[in-house]
Amino acid sequence: MRTAPTRRARLLGLAALGAVGFNFPLITLWDRAVTWFGLPLMTLALFAGWAVLIGAAAWIVERGDARDEDDDG
Amino acid sequence: MHTLPLAWVLGASIAYLALLFTVASWADRRAASGRSVIGNPWVYTLSIGVYCTAWTYFGSVGRAASSGLWFLPIYLGPTLAMLLAWSLLRKMVRIAHTQRITSIADFVASRYGKSRALAVLVTLIALVGILPYVALQLKAIASGLTVLTGTHGAAGAPWWQDSTLAIALLLAGFTIAFGTRHLDASERHEGMVAAIALESVVKLLAFLAIGAFVAWGMFEGPADVFARAAADPALAPLLRLTGSTGGDARFAGGQWFALTLLAALSLLFLPRQFQVMVVELVDERHLRRASWAFPLYLLLINLFVLPIALGGLLHFGRGAADPETFVLSLPLSQGASWFALLAFVGGLSAATGMVIVEAIAVSTMVCNDLVMPWVLRARPGRDLSRWPLPVRRAVIVLLLLLGYLYFRIAGEAYALVSIGLISFAAVAQFAPALIGGMYWKGATRAGALAGLLAGFALWTWTLLLPSIAKSGWLPQGFLADGPFGIALLRPEQLFGLAGLDNLTHALLWSLLANIGLFVAVSLARAPSAREMRQALRFVDVFHHEGQGAAPGHMRWHATDPLAELRQLAARFLGADAAARMFADYAQRSGAGRVERIEPDAQLVRHVETQLAGAIGSASAHAVVATVVEEESLGPADLLRMLDEASQVRALNRQLEGLDRLKDDFISSVTHELRTPLTSIRAFAELMRDDPDMPAEQRQEFIGLVVAETERLSRLVNQVLDMAKMEAGHGQWRREAVDLRELIEHALQTTSELFRERGAIVTVQQPDQVPSLMADRDRLLQVLINLLSNAAKFVPKGSGRVLVTLSTDAKGATIEVQDNGPGVPPEQQQLVFEKFRQGGDASNRPQGTGLGLPISRKIVEHFGGRMWLKSAPGQGACFGFELPWMHETPGDPS
Repeated sequence: MRTAPTRRARLLGLAALGAVGFNFPLITLWDRAVTWFGLPLMTLALFAGWAVLIGAAAWIVERGDARDEDDDG
Repeated sequence: MHTLPLAWVLGASIAYLALLFTVASWADRRAASGRSVIGNPWVYTLSIGVYCTAWTYFGSVGRAASSGLWFLPIYLGPTLAMLLAWSLLRKMVRIAHTQRITSIADFVASRYGKSRALAVLVTLIALVGILPYVALQLKAIASGLTVLTGTHGAAGAPWWQDSTLAIALLLAGFTIAFGTRHLDASERHEGMVAAIALESVVKLLAFLAIGAFVAWGMFEGPADVFARAAADPALAPLLRLTGSTGGDARFAGGQWFALTLLAALSLLFLPRQFQVMVVELVDERHLRRASWAFPLYLLLINLFVLPIALGGLLHFGRGAADPETFVLSLPLSQGASWFALLAFVGGLSAATGMVIVEAIAVSTMVCNDLVMPWVLRARPGRDLSRWPLPVRRAVIVLLLLLGYLYFRIAGEAYALVSIGLISFAAVAQFAPALIGGMYWKGATRAGALAGLLAGFALWTWTLLLPSIAKSGWLPQGFLADGPFGIALLRPEQLFGLAGLDNLTHALLWSLLANIGLFVAVSLARAPSAREMRQALRFVDVFHHEGQGAAPGHMRWHATDPLAELRQLAARFLGADAAARMFADYAQRSGAGRVERIEPDAQLVRHVETQLAGAIGSASAHAVVATVVEEESLGPADLLRMLDEASQVRALNRQLEGLDRLKDDFISSVTHELRTPLTSIRAFAELMRDDPDMPAEQRQEFIGLVVAETERLSRLVNQVLDMAKMEAGHGQWRREAVDLRELIEHALQTTSELFRERGAIVTVQQPDQVPSLMADRDRLLQVLINLLSNAAKFVPKGSGRVLVTLSTDAKGATIEVQDNGPGVPPEQQQLVFEKFRQGGDASNRPQGTGLGLPISRKIVEHFGGRMWLKSAPGQGACFGFELPWMHETPGDPS
């Protein structure tokens, strides 16, 4: 039987993703003089990436199926 | 430019503060009547919003106006930190709640063996470190007031006419009224949390409103603002990462990372964040929602920072107006004075929230960890329960005055964000000792002290002193040439390290030294037993729960330890609170009355944690030590420390349990076994010594021997049964039990007993009874036990036994009433104890004295309760109730 990954592990993974994505050097990928829908790409990328991170966290946390055991934090 | 009359601004501000106060009192009253308004994940999330202060409200716009997107790491860091909430923060919370920790100083001190020195050091770092942050709030409100009213309070006026000082004192008064009305041993302030949550709503809505006003009212939407900025060669670099930090064409990735890390650590370790996130948390599950909802709050409050900053620069032109007050000056420039007032109230909200919570948290630390230990030594033996509140009030005033002093010394030279970052760097020094202490058992008190001292010293040298020097308060050349011309010690290029901005430079050196010394000194020496015990309680907090302190053997200094502990508690908590605490404890420990409390390790621990709420854990430990010696490590503690593997630990715990049971068994059972054995031996010897005994007498004796042997084996069986149950090894089944059928079965089994005594049994029960989830055989055992008890005690020939079964929404109740002699009041408590039988020795019927204790254990296992009601001359009525469904822990179903 396969057990669902823990909520804790998923959130840790997400935090790692965020830490890498919001830092040098990946962050400079968006640093171009381009606009999307009239908004500068760099600004848009930071806020959109941020929103995606929040959405993913909400999805992980609010769904009921992840195991929620009292594992060591 | 339009301005507003000062009286209006003051009126609106005071009205707003009064509203907050009303909300706080209302929430406190609700809490007192048990209808808390803060037990909700949304309120919790909003209360964490106290992270966003005047820095966010005024400073971020200023930062964005000078360096574009660089205001963002301060919010990305906390976002990442909150994703760790479910692991790191939850562990902090669990530790703090099990150890009754009420401040960050307490947390660090408690982890390293309740060290007084660490408590003092952390308190001092927090106090000094937080001053720039308080100064930031004062500066923001003062400059906001200046813009809004067009008056200049600070410039040139003597200090007693300085409006900033007035603001500082007003905030101090308000904080005192807010947070120090009464002393709560758990340091929880429901009213404050409710008010802070409201403040978070106000500042967010106000800021969004200003943003919308600028973006849509003054321009044609955000895209328009960005397009115009992009077309302006002076503003275009602000939309990019590179080139936005003053002409440097390369992206300063190191600084970006440093800011993100710093902000993440600050979210966790700022005294006020610890207060709202850890101390005030009602339910751990709230962390889950907060882990995404708080980042969402941060995202929303930052949405319009860039549009406002760019809009202001476009509208006023560069350098014409202070970008830090754009949120006020932009509406004013459009003649929307009321809108500007709304913006000011939002900013006031942000600043007051920070000041209130920070001041309460820091004053608690200073009072518990600096002042009270000193008072304790200076005034031994006095009633100290009146001390904490005035001390805290004084500390709050002092904190704001020191903040004001820093504002006067260094505030003018720095931007808001830069001032705030100085504080962030100070509290980041807590990270190694705190996080290290939560995950690394080898961390020691000496290591934590060394790391904190080095980190704090380097912070002072590389960040605090330069901030003062730049305002001209230290000799020229201190920064440029180093102290006394020693270039290697130049604060902002320490040991010649150049090429970093001053913040990254300071953070690098201070954290490097901090972590390095923390690890190195910890590795130099093994932790002491006391450090190790706390290390286990912290690191393994999720494994050790419910276990509490293994009751080691206590060595008392006092002849009457209970009385001394009560006296001690009364000194610190006040007589009433202490009396309540002991009464509670007596109830929960099963002692009933305070005088009957067993003075054991558990009691000591209880008193100590209660005191810790009032005077801090280090002081509480020292005080309690005057009554009792350091609880010596029991063999169980030592084994736990030696064996890392949790499996071994689990086995040890079982062994411990069995060991205790064995002791119990031996002491009580020996006596019970001896009685039948003696009579068996006596009869056997009689028969051996008298070969000519008449056959019928011999037959009678053998009958007695058989009866006694039967009693022996029954006793042994029941003792084993009891032992299994107590050790948690009983075999429990769960099945649907038909209670009507159960009663019928029990009556059938016991019918012979009643027939012998000539007793009549009547049953009263409803026609329909839902089935109950339990172990049928065990319940049958309980029922048979009660029935045979009744059969033993009813008068011969005229016995009446009434069995009633009744049900309600919660569960079922079965009672067995007899018309026997009843149980005298003084014995009613005893019948459920092991080996205590009702009745006096002469008429005591044959029994093992274990039937009722076992029955009670069974009933309690299924979440029920068993009782005895007996009035003299009315017979005895044994009854028990069981809930329909009960989650039994460790149930194999």
